[in-house]
Amino acid sequence: MHYFFQRFVFSLLSLFILTLITFLLSQVVPGDPAIVAAGPNAGAEKIELLRSEMGLDKPLTQQFLIYVGKLAQGDLGKSWFTHQPILEDLIRELPPSLELVIIAMIINLMISLPLGLWSARYNDTRFDSSVRLFAMIGAGLPIFWTALILQNVIGGELQLLPIAGRLSFEYRAFEGHTGFFLLDGLILGRPDIFFDALKHLILPAFSLSLLFTAVGLRITRTAMISEFQKDYVLLARTKAASEPRIMFKHVFPNGAPPSLTVFGMQFGWMLGATVLVEEIYGRPGIGRYAVKAVTQSDIHAVVAVVLVVGVVFLLANLVVDLLLYILNPRGRMDK
Amino acid sequence: MKSFLNLTFFVKSPFEKLALGIVVFIILISILGDFIVPYDPTQIDFRGKLQPPSLEHPLGQDGAGRDVLSRVLSGARLTVLSTFTVIFVVLVIGCTIGIFSAFAGGWIDNILMRIADIWLGFPPLILALGFAAALGASLEAAIWALIFSWWPNYARLSRMITLDILSKPFIAGAEVLGVPLWRKVTFYVLPNAFDVLIIQVALDVSAVMLSISGLSFIGVGAQIPAPEWGSMIADGRAHMSTAWWVVVFPGLAIFFSALSFNVVGDALRRELDPLLRRV
Repeated sequence: MHYFFQRFVFSLLSLFILTLITFLLSQVVPGDPAIVAAGPNAGAEKIELLRSEMGLDKPLTQQFLIYVGKLAQGDLGKSWFTHQPILEDLIRELPPSLELVIIAMIINLMISLPLGLWSARYNDTRFDSSVRLFAMIGAGLPIFWTALILQNVIGGELQLLPIAGRLSFEYRAFEGHTGFFLLDGLILGRPDIFFDALKHLILPAFSLSLLFTAVGLRITRTAMISEFQKDYVLLARTKAASEPRIMFKHVFPNGAPPSLTVFGMQFGWMLGATVLVEEIYGRPGIGRYAVKAVTQSDIHAVVAVVLVVGVVFLLANLVVDLLLYILNPRGRMDK
Repeated sequence: MKSFLNLTFFVKSPFEKLALGIVVFIILISILGDFIVPYDPTQIDFRGKLQPPSLEHPLGQDGAGRDVLSRVLSGARLTVLSTFTVIFVVLVIGCTIGIFSAFAGGWIDNILMRIADIWLGFPPLILALGFAAALGASLEAAIWALIFSWWPNYARLSRMITLDILSKPFIAGAEVLGVPLWRKVTFYVLPNAFDVLIIQVALDVSAVMLSISGLSFIGVGAQIPAPEWGSMIADGRAHMSTAWWVVVFPGLAIFFSALSFNVVGDALRRELDPLLRRV
């Protein structure tokens, strides 16, 4: 229980610093936000009105408290350009991004874990060096460039997968309940929707995952190598335990936790990296929303995206840490 | 200190030698850049719009007829120099905070490292996007944004090294002799930290480079017509199906630089890292 409490306090502290950062971010905008928001033709009265409406005439600490109070009520402010509540925008934009990141994470795990384990088992063989070369190459490829090349070659030239969008043209009228088209396809019993949405996800998810897979693969491999060197593996071998048993029953469960922590962090990083992919593939999502907001200097919308990605990141880490704690009896014994 | 006697001691395989060669080549180009480019990288030539690679223009011409080879070459300067700027500033700030934290100890150390821990976690690209949005889109903004999001790495690392060094017997000896603090930092901590920091720098170059070109690609970094690799790709996107060279070559430049710096960083780590050697 002690650990749970500590971990929870750490998350709350992180949340506090996150809100502080986002608050300060919205403060350093060059120029007077009230003048910017009022537009070029506004008179002095209108600017004053907006200033007090936005709370800009109060001291900074008080403004921060107001900001936190509004956040607690789910009020992220209004977009300066669309004049829509940012919260509504984000609720609409988050599911497509999460869908993309989840698929990218599945690709990442499906490559990193088995390849990491196998290349650690066959450390210093030709197979291992080619896995390491793959990881090296993946870590050097710019996400946005890979996305463009794959889109043009596989989507454009070869026409194997759709180029852009979330669904094909014939499903353009489709509207789900959850915003997650894969989930909607399953719930409504529409396998055609499910597979169509999946086909549209493969290229963007793969481009997004490549860089993270390269890192995940390296970390898994290193963790597994040091696990294979431990005494219990030697013991298991002298007891003539079969190699698959050693790999999957002994080494993998013991070596996986450090890489799982990294995968937990990667979830948030991937959500941040959607800014590089979504626009290219013409997918709605918070990445594209953030890019649009930045180019329109809509600072509150950008700050809201920073906040939301930060919160998702904190949650993902919390879940992974608690999961590891529950799964690992050693941690429980310590306290 | 053997690194000063023989600068290439750490590259072993031909692959690593090639990578080191590319790294040296890129640094040379980023210094010589403007003297060796065949054309002015921002010179517009509408008659040469989207011309494919030819003898006069080996990498073709872009949407405004600018020479792609010249742009890729002088792009090395923008991309590499901004990457090194980020890393240098982050190194100085991060190490100052980290070493200070280690010497201070107690609650100051605790608070600084908690902040660094939390900061470190946040997705760097999205944090940089926030800073860039607040500062306005320009290459300088992107550089500042990355500095803001990158310092905790070095604070954590330099604190760890400093604590390790402070536990050594020679520090106790220095204590007895009354060696002043600044001497302890400059003559005891920094030389011992050099190896570990240089490895981290070599491994961070590619990550910073990818982030800078990524920020430029989405329009918050370098602006057209500045020949930055990321913004060149953004500029060439619209023509990609008809003129692949506008997008492919700057991308390859990013890829080969990032890959080479990674390979060199890995080789350095293998040869220098005391932690790895122990295992």
